[in-house]
Amino acid sequence: MFSSDYDPENVTRILFQDFPTWMLVVFYIIAIIAIGVFLYGVWAQIRKYRRGVRSGAWSPFWPRFHEMVATVLSHRTIKRRSKMTGKMHAWIFYGFVLLFIGTSIITLDHDITGPLGISFWYGWFYLAFGLVMDLAGVVLIGGLLYMMYRRKWLALPKLDYTRPDRAPGDPDFDRSDYRREDWAFLWTLIIIAITGFLLEAARVVWLQNDPMVWDVRWHAPVGTVISYVMMGLGLSPEGGGDLRMGLWWFHGILALTFIALIPYTKVQHIFTAMGSLMARDPDGKRRMPSADVDAEHIGVNHLGDFSDKYLLHFDACTKCGKCHEACPANAGGYPLSPRDLVLSLRELSKDTFSGATMPAEPVQVIGDGPNMIRPETLWSCRTCAACIEICPVGIEHLPMIVEMRRALVEEGEFDPMLQPTLQSLQKSGNSMSESKRKRPRWARQLDFKVKDARKEPVDVLWYVGDYASLDPRSQKVTVAFARILHAAGIDFGILYEDEQTAGNDVRRVGEEGLFQALAEANIELLDSCDFKTIVTTDPHTYNTVKNEYPEFGGNYIIEHASSMLERLIREGKVAMPVDLDYRVTFHDPCHLGRINGDVEPPRQVLGQLDVDLIEMPRNRDNSFCCGAGGGRIWLPDPPEMKKPAELRATEASAIEGLDVLVVNCPKCLNMMEDGVKGTGNEDNFRVMELIELVAEAMGPIDQPDPDDGGASKPEPVGAA
Amino acid sequence: MKILVTVKQVAALDDEFELRDDGRDVDEDFFEEDLNEFDHYSVEEALLIKEAAGDDAEVVIVTVGNEDTDDALRTALAKGADRGIRIWDESLADADGIAVAKVLAKVVEREKPDMVFTGAQSADFGSAVTGMALAGLLGWPHAAVVCNLEYSPGSDTATLRRELEGGLEEIMTVRCPAVLSIQLGINEPRYASLRGIKQAKQKPVDELTLDDLGLAADGVTSASRVRRMYAPEKGQAELITGSAAEQATRLAEIIKELRGM
Repeated sequence: MFSSDYDPENVTRILFQDFPTWMLVVFYIIAIIAIGVFLYGVWAQIRKYRRGVRSGAWSPFWPRFHEMVATVLSHRTIKRRSKMTGKMHAWIFYGFVLLFIGTSIITLDHDITGPLGISFWYGWFYLAFGLVMDLAGVVLIGGLLYMMYRRKWLALPKLDYTRPDRAPGDPDFDRSDYRREDWAFLWTLIIIAITGFLLEAARVVWLQNDPMVWDVRWHAPVGTVISYVMMGLGLSPEGGGDLRMGLWWFHGILALTFIALIPYTKVQHIFTAMGSLMARDPDGKRRMPSADVDAEHIGVNHLGDFSDKYLLHFDACTKCGKCHEACPANAGGYPLSPRDLVLSLRELSKDTFSGATMPAEPVQVIGDGPNMIRPETLWSCRTCAACIEICPVGIEHLPMIVEMRRALVEEGEFDPMLQPTLQSLQKSGNSMSESKRKRPRWARQLDFKVKDARKEPVDVLWYVGDYASLDPRSQKVTVAFARILHAAGIDFGILYEDEQTAGNDVRRVGEEGLFQALAEANIELLDSCDFKTIVTTDPHTYNTVKNEYPEFGGNYIIEHASSMLERLIREGKVAMPVDLDYRVTFHDPCHLGRINGDVEPPRQVLGQLDVDLIEMPRNRDNSFCCGAGGGRIWLPDPPEMKKPAELRATEASAIEGLDVLVVNCPKCLNMMEDGVKGTGNEDNFRVMELIELVAEAMGPIDQPDPDDGGASKPEPVGAA
Repeated sequence: MKILVTVKQVAALDDEFELRDDGRDVDEDFFEEDLNEFDHYSVEEALLIKEAAGDDAEVVIVTVGNEDTDDALRTALAKGADRGIRIWDESLADADGIAVAKVLAKVVEREKPDMVFTGAQSADFGSAVTGMALAGLLGWPHAAVVCNLEYSPGSDTATLRRELEGGLEEIMTVRCPAVLSIQLGINEPRYASLRGIKQAKQKPVDELTLDDLGLAADGVTSASRVRRMYAPEKGQAELITGSAAEQATRLAEIIKELRGM
């Protein structure tokens, strides 16, 4: 039985050594069944996704594939904001992938090329292979142990699936099945890995007298160390042989069961996450899905209205809870967690779209039943995109929410407080129930005339926006910005009465027909004007004009005020002689920082102001929404909830000696001032717009053209 | 079963405005037009009855106005009404509630609805007369300022609640068909999305002339005429203090000032 005169060049492992034929037959039957079950599951999943609307989200295939592979191999998205978990996941991933490749190589050599007379699994390659497999096994077990530790002892809130918006007893209250599945997954994988090593060790004990095994035993160091322990405990070669046979079957059947169950359990994320990452729209957080407003039907209220891509997103979720943790609605106790939303839709599609035939009736998505999405969940969203930003597998929660809101708006199912706002937007193009004539009235406070961009060419067209035009507090900022532009000698103009809201929040609230009408009217107006670039102080306007107007034929160069100020200061056009001796912190507006990546210009401006900038823990792409977005500024927050702005003000108040919480958006200004008052911090620090700080640092502005009048006694513009 | 709802496109004034050259109305540059707020409620009430009744109920929206008033009509249609009727003739440009009621009476005779709803009043002129006049011309029962209604299609009577002065309410039963003027707050009107309003263009709207209704221009004369519209001067009060002589001097100054001397 021993190959005592082996050739070291040909050293290999004899597969199925000493197996009677019936065992081989049984094993192959089990393996084929397992692969069959696996393939059926994969097919059933794909069938499920194909029951959605076709999106074409996977083309062009190769660039997307390449990007996905780079993301997966680097673990970039998993490591973000949780380095250790990302690293340990990488251990599991690489361990698993190497062991999978190893098994595939053996199968290839033994079952495919072997019968054709081509063998490669011997000699130095075999020895190196053994070493790599041992290493992979160790890494895999290490990663799994850490994950067990993390789940059991770190007790992270984001890994608690208990739903804050469900009561105990509701069928989807704590999702304890998920918890059991998580543990079953970890245990199964770790048992497969450990039994692999034990099997390796048992084989060494069993074949210790075979030089082809014994001489090269240190090429499988872990198994060999364990074999010494086994021998030390008195295991004989015969005992080793029996143990090997038992472990072989246990390990083999467990591994095959694992493979068979991949498409039916959380293990599917291996594939669904890759598919989801490939389908990911890099503009998903900036641009809401386009829609045909003349179609019979708009938005999503049936499961089949979702596209195949979203149906795949539901299954891609790994329940990592990063979105749950980042969501301002969830943090404030609102009935929304992006994770729970996706998981509800996953369960709903599993229950209804998995069968051989489609359900006879369309599957309602919005409602109060189990795994349905409640309207109040959809209205809790601030469209801040924190969820999309951090999702490691590329799920786009925000467009899903907006699509469902579209259906609700069509049905007229929303907070009654929203109706006057939408009617005002229909009638006067602003959300503040003000007449069109009031829009440019702020400009009367200036001692110079702002050019009418409708009537004369300008270099810079200033798209002022609703809040900046009509909200009394924001008007002070608007006036200050006009004075800065004037002092810097910028040739600028506004659209006066004809400016309407750009529509960012109108689109996100789900009134797509109104959004498109506003976009078309604004684009027609802009196209009739003569200008080089657009500037706005409002990040919402900035986002929509920049990212959503191109869909309607509006292609403009638009800049946020912060970038423009940074440039004007750098070019020496804005002199700031007054030293501001403030300790400040900066609250990134979602639509500027996270959504458009403009995190540095406001900080560069602050750098030029010589203020002492202390960052809040959540900054830049991880900034915490003020709570205004997605139309929420038009809806009152119920008193029993924690307003996102109050949570943010509390975060700022932890900075010792803070003088000013700097915001850079009219809506943030509105919300954060309330947040500071609501938390009793109004005596501790102030809320100021970045523009106001610049104006203050400029001191009394000298008007470049004294003939404009009023230049003799200029007001300090920032004195709010 | 058919409910006819009369609606009006009203003017919403800006807080700064100018009057028309003839001084009889506000310059149209200074207001924006919209469906009368009360009519949102009367349309909603009709739609609720229709929805409770099922498919064989029809809600017809009627307005008197030029083509600009199609917006108001379409808003009502977008909410779920079945079809619209718009009547216009240049002679109706200055029509008051009585003249409009004469036109509407002809429409009612033509359509033979089971019920007519109007808004309690228009938000711009606020005469609250059209519904009442319409009922008078038709010889139908009328109830004004209806704040609650129980009516099932096909029944001979409707039970309703009306708001009276001093916080009183009365419950009454009216014979049907009847004309009811609907008060704000009777329901929660639904929102008409802009998409819905655009799509309501597909819904049928009959554009009728006075001829079509068998009316001549002199058959719809108004019972009243606006002579002048103006912003009354704000009254001022001044407390005159000081000695008797000082007070008399100040009083004389004021008199001279007011008389323009």
